[in-house]
Amino acid sequence: MTVFAVREVKAAPTSARVRQRRRLALLACVGLAALFALVTLALTTGQMPLPASVALRGLVGLGDPADVLVVQDFRAPRVIAAVVAGVGLGVAGSLLQRVFRNPLASPDVMGVTGGASFGAVVLLATGASQTLIPAAALGGGLLAALLLGVFGWRSGLTVTRLVLVGLAVQAGLAAAVNLMVVRFPAELAGSALQWTTGSLYGRTWTEVWAAGGAVALALVAAFSLQRRLAVLDLGDESAGGLGLNPSAARLQLLLTAIVLASLAAALTGPVAFVALAVPHLVRFVAGPPTPGTLALTGLAGAVLLLASDLVVQHLLPVSGLPVGVVTATLGAPWLLVLMIRQSRPVNRSAA
Amino acid sequence: MSKIARAVPPGSLVTRRIPLLLAGFGALVLCAALSLALGSRPVPLSTVAEALFGDAHGRDAIVVTGLRLPRTVVALAVGAALGVAGAVAQGITRNPLASPTTLGINAGAGFAVVVAIYALHLTRPVEYLWFAFFGAAAAGMLALMLARRAGDLDPVRLALGGVVLQMVLLSWTQAVMLAGERTLDEARFWLAGSLSGRTFDVLWPVLPTLVIGLVLALAISPALNALALGDDSAQALGVPVARIRVVGGIAVVLLAGSAVAVAGPVAFIGLAAPHLVRLAVGSDHRLLVPGCLIAGPLLLLAADVLGRVVARPSELEVGIVSAFLGAPLLAVLARKVAR
Repeated sequence: MTVFAVREVKAAPTSARVRQRRRLALLACVGLAALFALVTLALTTGQMPLPASVALRGLVGLGDPADVLVVQDFRAPRVIAAVVAGVGLGVAGSLLQRVFRNPLASPDVMGVTGGASFGAVVLLATGASQTLIPAAALGGGLLAALLLGVFGWRSGLTVTRLVLVGLAVQAGLAAAVNLMVVRFPAELAGSALQWTTGSLYGRTWTEVWAAGGAVALALVAAFSLQRRLAVLDLGDESAGGLGLNPSAARLQLLLTAIVLASLAAALTGPVAFVALAVPHLVRFVAGPPTPGTLALTGLAGAVLLLASDLVVQHLLPVSGLPVGVVTATLGAPWLLVLMIRQSRPVNRSAA
Repeated sequence: MSKIARAVPPGSLVTRRIPLLLAGFGALVLCAALSLALGSRPVPLSTVAEALFGDAHGRDAIVVTGLRLPRTVVALAVGAALGVAGAVAQGITRNPLASPTTLGINAGAGFAVVVAIYALHLTRPVEYLWFAFFGAAAAGMLALMLARRAGDLDPVRLALGGVVLQMVLLSWTQAVMLAGERTLDEARFWLAGSLSGRTFDVLWPVLPTLVIGLVLALAISPALNALALGDDSAQALGVPVARIRVVGGIAVVLLAGSAVAVAGPVAFIGLAAPHLVRLAVGSDHRLLVPGCLIAGPLLLLAADVLGRVVARPSELEVGIVSAFLGAPLLAVLARKVAR
C-alpha cells in the first residue's frame, strides 16, 4: 500500500486520491473501533451489568450459562438488529441521494419507510406471525415507491416533485396507519405505535436472521451497482455513450435502495433521519463518493443507530422509548442546516 | 394595493361570480341538512325541519337538536377556520402547498395535548382546548421562523421546515403516548381528528380567536393580491409586505389553532379548500378568502357525513376521511406545482 502510494504521489490528481484513500482507511479504523466499543458497551450494560470480558465470551457461548443466556438471547439480537438496520439505512440513503443528486432525497422523505411501517402495521392488524413482518414491510415500502412513481413520474422524477409527492404518499399511508391505531384495541395500538416510531425493543434471532440475510443480499447488489453510479454522474449522454442505459440503471439503483430501506424498517421500524443525515456526515469527512465511502456510510449508519439505541436505553430518564425519538431529535437540526445551505442565494438559480 | 384593486372593475367581478357563490352556498346548505339527517340513526328531512323549529318531540328530535345540530355548527365553524387559514397561508407564503398541516400546526397541537394528557391526567376534549391552541400557535410560529430568509419567506424552506418540524413533533408525540397506557387510550381518538360528541361548550371559548382571525384574514385579503406579484412589485405598489406577512401569520395561527383545539388535527381541508375555490372563481384573494368560508365547511361537512355513512353503525373520524381524500389531491397538486 505504501509503495503504491509513493509511486503515485508524483501526479497531482492521483495524490489527492491516495490521500482520500488513506483518510478512508483511517476513518474505517475509527468507525470499526467505535462500533466495537459500542457493541461491547451494549452487551455489558443493562439490568444485569457484566464485565466486558464476560460479555464477549458469553457472545461466543463461553462462561456461565446465565450470562450466556442474557448476552446471546437478550442483548445480542438487539445489537445486531441496530447494526444491520443502520447499515441498510445508511447505504440506502447514500444511493438515493446520489441517484437524485439531491441531499434531501431519502427514504423518510420519499415515504418508503412510512410504507414499510404501513405494511408492518397491516400485518399486526391481521394477527399474522411476526416473522412475516420483514416481508410485509418490504411490500409496504414497494407499495409506497409504486405510488410515488405513479403520481410523481412525468418524464422523469424531479426532486421537488419527488419530495412533495413523497409527502402525499406518506400522508395517505399515515392516515391508513392512524385508522388502524384508532380501531385497534389498546395493546395492539401500542405495538403499532412502537413500530411506527422505530424501535429495537425485543428483537429476536429469527427476525434478525431473516432481515439480516436479505439486507446482506441487497448490499451485494448495491455494491455491484455502485460503478453505474459513477457512470451516471457523468451525465445521461455520456453514460449512454459508455453503453449504459441511464433509466434502467437508475431504476435498478432505486429498487435496491428501496429494498434496503424497507428491510431496515422491517427490523427497526421507520427510524427517522438516519438515512438522511449519515451520507452527509460521511461526505463531509471523507470527500467525494467512491465504493469506499459507500462502505463507510454503512458503518457510520450502524454506529449512529447503535449509539442512539444506547442513549434510549440507558441515558434517558424514561424507559421504553423508541429509538426513533433520539434519531429524529438529533437529525432534525441536521436537515435544517442542510436546507439553509441549499437555499442560499448562490444555489437558488439552480433550484 | 389600490392599483391592483382598480385593475379589475369591482362591480363586474362580483356580479359575474354571484351565481357561483350561490351554488356553493346551496351545496353547503344541502351538506348541512344531510349532516343533520344522516348518521347511525337516519332521520327524515321533514322531521329534521320540524325538530329545528321546535314542533317535533321524541327521540329523533332529540338526536337532531341535541347531538347533530351542535356538531354541524361546530363543523361549519371549524371548516371555515381551516379553509380561510389555508387561503391566507398560501397567500402570504406564495406557496400553493402551504396549509395548517404542512406548517406543523396540527403536530404541535397534538404534541401539546398528549403531553397535557400525560402530565395532568385530562380526560375530556373540552379540557384539551387551550393546550391544543397554544401548541398549534407555537409550532406555527416556529415553522414561519424556520422559513425566513433575508426577511422573506422561502416557499421551499417553509414546506420542508414544516415537514421536519412535523416529523420531530410526531415522534415525540408517539414517545409520550407510549410512556403511558392511559395516555395512548385517551389521545389516539383525539389525534385522529374528530367532530364526534362536540357540543357548543367546545366552541364558545375559541369563538373570539376565531372571529379575530377571520377579521384579520378578510382585512388583508386585498393586499394578498399584491403579494402574489412578488415582494418587490408589492413593495413598489406601496404594500407593507412585512406587516402583511406578520398579520397573515397571526391570522393563520389564530384560525388553525382554534380549529385544532375544537376538532383535533384534521388534515387537508385547509389545503384543498383554496384550490377548489381557485378553480371556481380564479385567484383574486378578495373572492378567494370569502369563498373559503363556504368551501372549507363544505369539505369538512362532506367528509364528516361520509365518515358517518360508510361505517354505520360506527363512524370514521373526520380527520381520517379527509386524509384519505386529501392525499391523492396533494399528489396531483405536487405534479402541477413542480413541473
